Amino acid sequence: MDETGRGGVIAIAAKRSSSAPGGLRQSARRSPNAQSGRRSANTMPKGLSSVVRVLPSDSSECHLGSFIDYTVNGLVVGNIYALLAVGLALIFGVANLINFAHGSVYTIGAYIGWACITCLHTPLPVTMLIVIAACGLVGVIIERVGLRPLQGSARIAPLLATIGISFVLDQLVQLVFSPDPRALPSELPNWQIAIGGGTIGALDILIAGIGLLSAAVLFAFLRFTKLGWAVRATAQDREAALQMGVDVNAVNSAVFAVASALGGLSGLLVGMYYNHIDPAMSFQATLKGVVAQVIGGVGNVPGAIAGSLVLGLIESYGIALLGTTYRNLFAFVLLIAILVWRPNGLFGGRAGTQAEPLTGTFIAPSRPLRVPRPALWMLVALAAALPLAIPSPYVLQTLTNAWLAAMLALSLTLMAGTAGQISLGHAALLSIGAYASALLALDLNVPTLLSVLAAGVVTGALGTLLIFPAFRLRGHYIAIATLAIGEIVGLVILNWESLTRGAIGVTGIPPLSVFGQDIYSAQAVYWLCLAVVIGLALLQMRLLGSHFGRTLRAIRDDDVAARCYGISLDRYKALAFAFGGFGAGISGAITAHLFSYLNYETFNSQVSLSALAIVILGGMGNVLGAIVGAVALVGLPEIFRVTTEYRVLIYGIALLLLIRFRPQGLLGTV
Amino acid sequence: MSEREDSGLVRHLGKILAAAAAWAFLGAMVLPAAQAQTSGEPVLIGVSGPLTGQNAQYGAQWKKGFDLALEEVNGKGGIKGRPLQYVFEDSQADPRQSVAIAQKFVSDPKIVVEVGDFSSTASMAASPIYQRAGLVQFGFTNSHPNFTKGGDYMWSNSISQADETPRLAKYAADLGLKRLAVLYLNTDWGRTSDKIFIDSAKGFGADVVASEGYQPDEKDFRSTLVRVRDAKPDGIVLISYYADGALIARQVRSVGLTQPIVAIGSVYSPKFIELGGEAAAGVYTESNFFPSDPRPEVQSFVTKFRARYNEEPDDFNAVAYDTIILLAAVMNQYGTDRKAIHDGLGLIKDVPSVIYGKATFNPETRRVAGAGAVYLVVKNGQFELWDGKKPGS
Repeated sequence: MDETGRGGVIAIAAKRSSSAPGGLRQSARRSPNAQSGRRSANTMPKGLSSVVRVLPSDSSECHLGSFIDYTVNGLVVGNIYALLAVGLALIFGVANLINFAHGSVYTIGAYIGWACITCLHTPLPVTMLIVIAACGLVGVIIERVGLRPLQGSARIAPLLATIGISFVLDQLVQLVFSPDPRALPSELPNWQIAIGGGTIGALDILIAGIGLLSAAVLFAFLRFTKLGWAVRATAQDREAALQMGVDVNAVNSAVFAVASALGGLSGLLVGMYYNHIDPAMSFQATLKGVVAQVIGGVGNVPGAIAGSLVLGLIESYGIALLGTTYRNLFAFVLLIAILVWRPNGLFGGRAGTQAEPLTGTFIAPSRPLRVPRPALWMLVALAAALPLAIPSPYVLQTLTNAWLAAMLALSLTLMAGTAGQISLGHAALLSIGAYASALLALDLNVPTLLSVLAAGVVTGALGTLLIFPAFRLRGHYIAIATLAIGEIVGLVILNWESLTRGAIGVTGIPPLSVFGQDIYSAQAVYWLCLAVVIGLALLQMRLLGSHFGRTLRAIRDDDVAARCYGISLDRYKALAFAFGGFGAGISGAITAHLFSYLNYETFNSQVSLSALAIVILGGMGNVLGAIVGAVALVGLPEIFRVTTEYRVLIYGIALLLLIRFRPQGLLGTV
Repeated sequence: MSEREDSGLVRHLGKILAAAAAWAFLGAMVLPAAQAQTSGEPVLIGVSGPLTGQNAQYGAQWKKGFDLALEEVNGKGGIKGRPLQYVFEDSQADPRQSVAIAQKFVSDPKIVVEVGDFSSTASMAASPIYQRAGLVQFGFTNSHPNFTKGGDYMWSNSISQADETPRLAKYAADLGLKRLAVLYLNTDWGRTSDKIFIDSAKGFGADVVASEGYQPDEKDFRSTLVRVRDAKPDGIVLISYYADGALIARQVRSVGLTQPIVAIGSVYSPKFIELGGEAAAGVYTESNFFPSDPRPEVQSFVTKFRARYNEEPDDFNAVAYDTIILLAAVMNQYGTDRKAIHDGLGLIKDVPSVIYGKATFNPETRRVAGAGAVYLVVKNGQFELWDGKKPGS
């Protein structure tokens, strides 16, 4: 994996001259005897990162000094995560919802702050108040317009709505302020305190203060005030709270206002901290906030702060051990470990009961649209004849993309819809399949047809193995776990350079070929992908009609009852994932051969999210729905292409309207 | 259409009115003037690049360079009297979209050459389509060493890492630095540069004592910098873009490191100084493009850019501008047939270029060699030519 141990170890015999805290600026000044450091390696190793590890051989003081610095740095960044995690925890605690729009509000806060400081020249306290008020208002609007109408619909609907809202908000910010990063200068005095070899500044302390203060205020509010009790009552049982005369809507509105105000404020502070804001900063913010609050215990406000600090520390120590590119790997492995061993979080304790549904309320129950068999065959015939009628390679390529997305959606609709295991990291399966097939074809000269099939098998096996630890989780937790597993796969691909070629990516992947005949033309590729989709769809329909499909639906609808009937949950989930992994792996493999180039970002988390959107659009568990959804969601952005800049905005709004008015999807859930 | 698109965008909240008015005025001035001299069916360049998504700012930078170049080309009679225009398709630098765009372009006979995409992921996924269709894919930001190996229709005038990185190593050596710590953007570009840098630094008698890759979305570098510190370097080398380079420069100072910073030319942007604040002061960098460069190509570009956009041009603006000027020269000299453009790129000599002075392709590698460069240092809130003073002296 990484060759740190072999080549690049440098033993520095020199004593660290000064790591005393007194030397604020000078402390890390290079020591004059540093040159006596002896290089034991004559060449630099090929390992990706951590090319050099420093072994301070005779100086334990140096060890300790660095350790203190790593700790301080971990706490500094954890401090930043805490501001985000508190808001997320609050919303999860009450609305039982991972708010994917939280990062967008954070971005909005940063930009409002920027506008105040650079245009209105407001002093910092005023800026903070404006940001708090404006973002609180944004929160109220999100709740009122985006989420309240979804009450009573399936639990997945608000989750998706927040994703749609985040698309819309990010895009609006980008349209108004341009995508260029901007400087957000801090107005705080520029004094620094030396700790260890580094320093912390006024802003660090302000961020910590606001994080702790807001957690304390929230804690007191929830515990000691009447409205706080109402909030907690709503969190525990919405209907019961309603019957006891709690104005549930007002409570939700208040919670979103508070959480969003905090989110916006953190955007402002973090923007000032880095002197850098850009419209793309929201996704990472949401991701880290979610990880931090899961570590601390989902919905647990004080836990969110502690979890953030733990996350910051683990990341920092991870960098110390292996290098910068391993930071997120440590973060997500920690997340998985917490989910598996302590799903209530490190600080959840006994009180954190799982409010996850026992029965299938995660999926909107509905009667699926019955499509008569002759009509289905007509559709297939139409699709097959299309290249003859419309020879435009652009249309065919777009539809080929749709078929490839449909393969992924079939796999996801089986896992999420039929088996009830929502996956937010499905793109990882594409990556595994793509790399498997590309490397088999390139390194072992396996014929592409064979390598694609082998990639399907490898993906099925590896995917099931990776998800296996998460089988005991339910609902939101499995969504978070799969999100993390997806990120882990990407990071392993990036760091395992000897196998995957790391950041350089795999180039020169041979095109698909059947019996020595290369498949190049848009028509041929179209037919091939269509055939694979139809084959997989038929197989999946057959499976769903069998006892296997019934068993999966039983697990989805009531896993306790299913277990009482003697169903081995793990075995059936594993079978579903193996079959789903096979289809997704094939899709990834074909994509790799079409693109001829592949790197760890080819299938990123956006792909996972759009796969989920396809499945929802078509109707969870609905085979035909997955295909129709893929054609719609791949086709729509192409149709909106004329409107370039506004395209993602329109896409987001369309998604929101769909979730609002047809949560069971176009063709209904099965 | 492309000429005017930007005019509606609000750039700075405080300058809405002034900016909008100025832009509308310019747009109104420019278009009739351009059309007065050109007529007939426009010659179309297909651009595939990010206008939305994570890399949207680069697409916006491109447009400014393109529009300026088009204004100039069409002002001088376009392509043999026909107006030159581009069609910008938003790919979000996503390979799934860039392949669809590729199919769209190759099947549209009006598109005579393609420019882009931004990332190598997106460009190289589309390469097989362009290669088979015989449409030149001009990846002007694609420095991936394998990009032009995708086929003889893949061309690039992006500055080759084999050119630029040894120069950075030499600059570090000229500054008297012997023990270097490298922080590089962990992409194909950064990774390639890092490898070349380590080798060439050795040639100049400097050792690379630490080499740390980081992810493009990384914001916090404090812990990374502790690793750097513990390697006891006497200089820190950044292989970064301006946004992440500025973030690192700030944090280098706040963790108490005082070593001089030498950064690769990609940080050369007014944004680097804006984002880096005080920490940008004293950062050494080199650039293929420097507005105070007395060369006439540079001066004419900078003057026009400032007049039109009221801001300082950066590297991306310059290379986008260069690309259009180059393609226009090829078309004027060798014709607007797809094949003619392909052949012309290999034949054309000494096209005036902001980056290269005079650009000529090596027909084997399909790249341009020999970009000139200047040594720069950040001083008084701007980039200035290096005065030859070594740090600490």
